[in-house]
Amino acid sequence: MHSEHFIQTDVLVVGGGSAGTMAALEAKKQGVDVVLVDKAGIYRSGCGAAGNDHFLSVLETGPDWDTPEVFLKWYQRLTQGLVDTKIAENTFLKRSKQLTVELEEMGIPMKEGEDGGYIRTRSFAQPGDYFINFDGRALKPKISKIAESAGVKFITNVAVVDLLTNQGKVVGAVGFHIRTGEFYIFQAKAVVLATGNATRMYENPSGLPFNAWHSPYNTGSAQAMALRAGAEVKNPEFVNYTITPKNFSASALNAVVGMGGYLVNAKGERYVFKYHEKGEQGPRWAMPWGTYWEEVEGRGPCYFDLRHLSDSAKKHLIEHLLPVDKNTFMDYCEQKGIDPGTDLMEVQISEGQHPAFLGSVSGIFVDEHCRTTVPGLYAGGACAVGIGSLAGSMCFGQAAGAEAGAYAQGTEMSELVQPQVDELRELTYAPMSSRGDFNYTEAENKLRQIMSDYVSISRNEEGLAAGLSELKALKKLFGQIKAENGHDLMRTHELRDLLLISKAITTGALDRKESRFGLSHYRRDFPETKEEWHKSTHLSLKDGVLNIRYVEPYN
Amino acid sequence: MLPIQIDYKRCNGCGICEKNCPGDLIYSDEKTGLPYIKYPDECWFCGACRIDCPKNCLDIKFPLTSL
Repeated sequence: MHSEHFIQTDVLVVGGGSAGTMAALEAKKQGVDVVLVDKAGIYRSGCGAAGNDHFLSVLETGPDWDTPEVFLKWYQRLTQGLVDTKIAENTFLKRSKQLTVELEEMGIPMKEGEDGGYIRTRSFAQPGDYFINFDGRALKPKISKIAESAGVKFITNVAVVDLLTNQGKVVGAVGFHIRTGEFYIFQAKAVVLATGNATRMYENPSGLPFNAWHSPYNTGSAQAMALRAGAEVKNPEFVNYTITPKNFSASALNAVVGMGGYLVNAKGERYVFKYHEKGEQGPRWAMPWGTYWEEVEGRGPCYFDLRHLSDSAKKHLIEHLLPVDKNTFMDYCEQKGIDPGTDLMEVQISEGQHPAFLGSVSGIFVDEHCRTTVPGLYAGGACAVGIGSLAGSMCFGQAAGAEAGAYAQGTEMSELVQPQVDELRELTYAPMSSRGDFNYTEAENKLRQIMSDYVSISRNEEGLAAGLSELKALKKLFGQIKAENGHDLMRTHELRDLLLISKAITTGALDRKESRFGLSHYRRDFPETKEEWHKSTHLSLKDGVLNIRYVEPYN
Repeated sequence: MLPIQIDYKRCNGCGICEKNCPGDLIYSDEKTGLPYIKYPDECWFCGACRIDCPKNCLDIKFPLTSL
């Protein structure tokens, strides 16, 4: 029997990355009690654990492009109307300028230009230089400290397993301590989900599944919990790929193309123009799409080419961007024996993952007040569809926290349903008493094999159907995974969530009889983008079955 | 080969790397109080363990297949 902790709070925020920490701080500012829970620590957690180099911001400095109107028009085009731009308007555009100033006041170096001003660059077909190049290595600990000092109660090393509901409302959550196994019961007036995107469903080109583009500890638990609590997940079939250095799934593409770097094939040709009129300045999806065809047609390997850049641009990239975004970037270069300024750097198409960047259209469905379709349940950051990137997630989280805080102020605490708590306690610890002999790694490897074989880049009807049936078979084996300790239990519950997300991806992909967003959803049997499919998939879960409804695009 | 190499001559056992690791892969030895990598296969190579190390005693060593 595991000991239990009961925690009552007005607002519970699940996930202590950049979005969740901002949500907790903002809810606290409303004058309510706030608990922030994360399965890791909070000071260095989430995708921004060790730093970030680009901060998206519309600063209204004068030029047309630096206005909310132009940004929104572009964002509408980028997401093809599949994202409600009211969310970006209400969360990001109302906050990004102010947040930029606030970060500066916290002591985050935002103005890195020689003239003491901002360095701003553009990438991925943006109409203007929205990305402030900054040194975000201290960002996560600084905002965490501010949140904790403001009175947010931090609970670390506790993995949340599921939400608690009462009469259709979310009223709390349960989880366990990943080392001691102690059980945690949370009762709350409102819950904000902010656990980021979903990774580890697809085989990694290096063979190392945790060597992922975004944090490999992001396993779609918010999306899975939301589905199980009755909320909707939007457009799961669009799996995202990017270009990363060969065998090292580090963020780099934004920095490289933002500074004017090229992508070249084995013949030395810049190839992205063949696939998008803007070449390396096109949207992100155009680059993995183009690289895929270069390799398929025998013109690989492909490379980052930075040799033409000026010495100052190279210096900025190598000293201020790459190692700030990924702290170990230069260790990789050194150990591989390459100098990115003078050598070509081989690239690869990353493993697929559920998106976490600007322009992604997949995740928990929320409205412009960050509300899911279930009362009391809010979501922000990369787990929800709204606005991506670090700055987007921080603003989105901030807005979700403000909304949840205001809702909690006008709401009474609802009772927990004891049989539901008991059932979830049993479900939580079931892997500890399993009589099976699989470990979590074996089962997770099987998941990756299924998803990579049938639901990855090149999809067709028969393959997707086979994938779905393999996923069902793996789900049946789930009870045979044996967890020996809290760490195993955490990974096993991550797999439970990943299985549901994988099923959602496959279900959406099987139904969508067209191709869209490059490799994100490329059906070999329906290779064209079709007007009749210009709509969003909304999935919900009922009695273990995923149901689809389609929603027309926003205009 | 471990992805995180610890120079035990310099390590003071402060526990920051253990606390920072977003995957909870670093544990402290019960007897010595010094950190060790319990789940090396689950490393993201993010450098969060190294970034705040007051003794600068951590090195990231990429596995051959990630180079």
